[in-house]
Amino acid sequence: MIRLEKINKTYFGAQPLHVLKGIDLQVNEGEMVSIMGASGSGKSTMLNILGILDNYDSGNYYLNGKLVKDLSENEAADVRNRTIGFIFQSFNLIPFKTAMENVALPLYYQNVNRKKRNQIAMEYLERFGLKEWADHYPNELSGGQKQRVSMARALVTQPKVILADEPTGALDSKTSAEVMQILREVHETGITMVIVTHERGIALRTDKIIHLKDGIIENIEINNPDSIDFSKEIK
Amino acid sequence: MDFWREIFMALSRNKLRTFLTGFAISWGIFILIVLLAAGNGIMNGIGEEFSDQSKNTYMIYGGETSKPYKGHGTNRSIWFNDKDIRFLETEVKEVDQVSPCIYQSGFANFGDKSGSIFVQGVRPVFKDINNTKMLEGRFISELDEKSSEKFIVIDDNLRKKLFDDEVSPLGQFVIVSGIAYKVIGICESEGRSDGGNGYVPFSTLKKITRKNWYWMLHFTVKGLETKEENEAFTEYLRTQLAHLHEFDPDDTSAVYIGSRQEGYLQTMKIFRTFELFIWIIGFAMLISGIVGVSNIMRITVKERTNEIGIRKALGAKSRSILASIVTESLIITTIFGYIGMWLGMVAAEVGGNVLSKVQEGKEISLNIVPSIDIRIVLMATALLIVCGVLAGFFPARNAVKIKPIEAMNYR
Repeated sequence: MIRLEKINKTYFGAQPLHVLKGIDLQVNEGEMVSIMGASGSGKSTMLNILGILDNYDSGNYYLNGKLVKDLSENEAADVRNRTIGFIFQSFNLIPFKTAMENVALPLYYQNVNRKKRNQIAMEYLERFGLKEWADHYPNELSGGQKQRVSMARALVTQPKVILADEPTGALDSKTSAEVMQILREVHETGITMVIVTHERGIALRTDKIIHLKDGIIENIEINNPDSIDFSKEIK
Repeated sequence: MDFWREIFMALSRNKLRTFLTGFAISWGIFILIVLLAAGNGIMNGIGEEFSDQSKNTYMIYGGETSKPYKGHGTNRSIWFNDKDIRFLETEVKEVDQVSPCIYQSGFANFGDKSGSIFVQGVRPVFKDINNTKMLEGRFISELDEKSSEKFIVIDDNLRKKLFDDEVSPLGQFVIVSGIAYKVIGICESEGRSDGGNGYVPFSTLKKITRKNWYWMLHFTVKGLETKEENEAFTEYLRTQLAHLHEFDPDDTSAVYIGSRQEGYLQTMKIFRTFELFIWIIGFAMLISGIVGVSNIMRITVKERTNEIGIRKALGAKSRSILASIVTESLIITTIFGYIGMWLGMVAAEVGGNVLSKVQEGKEISLNIVPSIDIRIVLMATALLIVCGVLAGFFPARNAVKIKPIEAMNYR
């Protein structure tokens, strides 16, 4: 599903920063992997490249069998819209839209008509237990609720890949466990998932942990997440 | 449809932002219009004050020749006749309106009262040329002139001599040299002496006196805007008159040509300076309006950088984001610009009414009534709207251009 070949990325600032130094990585369809590493290890940069939110300098990135390189703005927008669902640490909900409107927004960019997209959005909200909160604005929701809204938004287009950047970073441990349980359930429907985290408790609940250090993959740890009780709090 | 719903929602869900942006635009246009109106008002006031010098008028008097020419001797009197009037009216393009003068002096009687009078037969334009100020009634009209009415406009001196205070002279008949004239107006006396003056239609007095030579011609001119032009015109006139009346063109005592050009040119200079001043102020106001509007649009778009980033991550195309932002700013600037324009015009109108009430009955005060040129107002409003939209467009384009991740993390 995802294949990285010798990906390099340098940020050219006052002092050029070589963030990714020839990353090779393969994530198979239906796999749930996590990326761990200290801050500055390049894990967020890697996720941004995977999400086509940022570009890379050299190497090749194949998503769903297609090379993602030098895409035009519009092509990139299309790939993001149809193939990828994003979950962010800070939720990134649009403050002046209700929960339902936020969830329906990706469908707006697929030119789905209003009635249809609100109907689909409601289905997803219901699935995440937020039916009663559909008409509330983000600032009226708790952190856990906001993250569930953003998960509903990520899934509403039925993407192939979910990319999550510290999805539990702004949540307490109980809510984190809930969010991870939902992600696990989503993964079981066959969606490929890449989660960036610095919490080992989170990473242990994925199939593979990719350890990044100073822009290279240090090692890959294989887990057995089925042995973990997901209803338990993460410590 | 969906597009417009999105736009309407973005505007109505962000009421404060919409209002503040709109207010900046309304305010800019409002101030601009009020200031232009005030400037115009002052211009009009000054214009009225200088109205006696706002027209360039000429007068020519007949004199006596001092040089022999083509078999004519010296000391020959020059008088004007109908040929001169026709010449001025039809052949000299600078001449606008001509008023010849015939005069008659004698006594005016009303009942048992009488007074000396100097009657002039004039055309309606004489009122403007001479800057005659009416106290009551009206001056001679084109119609009076055409039908040779026996109407008379008397000055204040004569009125005091002929009429008691409680009698209104209007509509009464006064007898001048055996002819009964109906009084149609009373004008201000021209100072100098306490002798009475009267004005009757030129055609009327011409018939009565059977004169076909005139001691003086008045006329207004157009298009002579500099001293040089006026001097050349005077020279041209003298040559042409010399030709018509057979006198030496260099003989300056044959006819006297005088004009109000000096006052006129000076007035025009003041006017132009002031007009320029008003334009500079208006222009400065427009610039500050544009800067204000542009700034708020720029800040508004900057504020939305995160939103733009989120939308892009969710698959929005740059074009679609840009289209909604530009449409939003177009709607805000148009609606609020329109509101500001109307408020400005209403304020100018109300201010004008209040000022004219205040000034009523005061003789000396400058008559400052704000007035607005609707075309300038529309143009200024349109310009502000266009600038507002452009000011929204460029930062929006920049925000759309940067990578979505940078836009999302902006702040």
